[in-house]
Amino acid sequence: MDLPEQLRYTTDHEWVSVTGDRIRVGITDYAQDALGDVVYVDLPAVGTVVAAGEVLGEVESTKSVSEIYAPVSGTVLSVNETVTAAPEQLNSDPYGAGWLCELAPTDPSAPEALLDADAYRRLVGG
Amino acid sequence: MAGDLRRSPLHDWHVAAHAKLVGFGGFEMPLAYPTGTVAEHLACRQGAACFDVSHLGTVEMTGDDAFERLQGQLSNDLRRIGPGRAQYSHLLDEDGSVLDDVIVWWVDDTTFDVMPNATNTSRVRNAIGGRDTTAQRAVVAVQGPTARAVVGAIWPEAAAVGRFMVAPVAWRGTACMVAGTGYTGEDGVELAVPVQVAAAIWQALVDAGAVPAGLGARDTLRLEAGLPLFGHELGPGITPLQAGLGWVVGWDKPLLRAREALAAERERGPARRLRGIVASGRRPLRDGATVLFDGRAVGRCTSGSFSPVLGRGIALCLLDAGPGGEALPEGTEVAVDLRGAHVPATVVAPPFVPLPSPAPIAGR
Repeated sequence: MDLPEQLRYTTDHEWVSVTGDRIRVGITDYAQDALGDVVYVDLPAVGTVVAAGEVLGEVESTKSVSEIYAPVSGTVLSVNETVTAAPEQLNSDPYGAGWLCELAPTDPSAPEALLDADAYRRLVGG
Repeated sequence: MAGDLRRSPLHDWHVAAHAKLVGFGGFEMPLAYPTGTVAEHLACRQGAACFDVSHLGTVEMTGDDAFERLQGQLSNDLRRIGPGRAQYSHLLDEDGSVLDDVIVWWVDDTTFDVMPNATNTSRVRNAIGGRDTTAQRAVVAVQGPTARAVVGAIWPEAAAVGRFMVAPVAWRGTACMVAGTGYTGEDGVELAVPVQVAAAIWQALVDAGAVPAGLGARDTLRLEAGLPLFGHELGPGITPLQAGLGWVVGWDKPLLRAREALAAERERGPARRLRGIVASGRRPLRDGATVLFDGRAVGRCTSGSFSPVLGRGIALCLLDAGPGGEALPEGTEVAVDLRGAHVPATVVAPPFVPLPSPAPIAGR
């Protein structure tokens, strides 16, 4: 299971990367494997304001529906339109081309409170 | 995985192939291989896929009275076929509800192999008698436009068993039973083989180019082909007429279970009918979702998912029939309520994709 050291993670199996004052959000390798082939992605509108833990979007496989939760409070800056048309990128490249959206955190230090790679590895029993 | 699940004779192969296993019908079976459900699905539509369907039941009926017992208990009319042929049929409740759907393999004058759904094997056996031989064999389905070529490369006699034909065929001296049946809408064969040769045959099929496919792909394939699944399109309260399977009813038989209920329903017209709906976008439609027309509920989805071929959400649904007994016609624009979102969709007549003829389960 691929689990990059430099990322932050949530207990809902999302990853967060921090670049300056914006964060990028996706689902982990563990999550994509558990879901199976992703065939549909529903992303929030740019400008949406979300609180931590609120539903940010939805990821569906042939069999199941999973909600994506905001890892921190913030405003949606951009979404990955490519995965809307090609959701299989969540399976093939979950930490790269399969990213979901970017947020401007309300509190720039909030991501620091998320899980680090070691803590997430323990969570998923890796 | 729960320890009380039964295992297929091919279990070790699936584990070694890193299949994702899931409990289904009391068995632990592959949901998908690392290939993934969508690629497995497309392999079956474009080439050849192999499926381990050993979880299906086999009830062997033998004896001079086997024909009469089946003819009396199951809905279809065996006089439409003969020895060496397969037929799709229903076990009906007195109210016309479908208690199970089965494939009957008519092996010879006095031998039939009846294949119920995994969860219904004992129910069917209680109704028809016979011997449960499920544990003695594996069943492998090879399906797709090149399925016969792939099977033919390793086992020409099996590949030669025609559509809806049944034949005893030996694999290197071991007696097996082969039928030209399946559940994907594609051409192909189903191989019922003794446990001790199952792994060798499976491996030979894979080496010959069949792509192993799991139950996930099997479900999206049968849905795309418009084929019913017990517990979804068939079950308590759902009759063959509602499911659009009136041809499964042997009206001319002297003894037909639920004849009165079915005749009355035929006379007044079914209160609902099975239809297909195709979403305008990729979002998968889901089992249980309400179908709306002009803002009012007109039915519900019985199976729903994503069509890898169409790239759209699809569903089978039971739609209320109007006063004339007709449900909404093809082309009608409807909406499907998916957790509060109204997804636009269009009524169609399944199958959802072009399939080879004859009709996939028309074992008449």
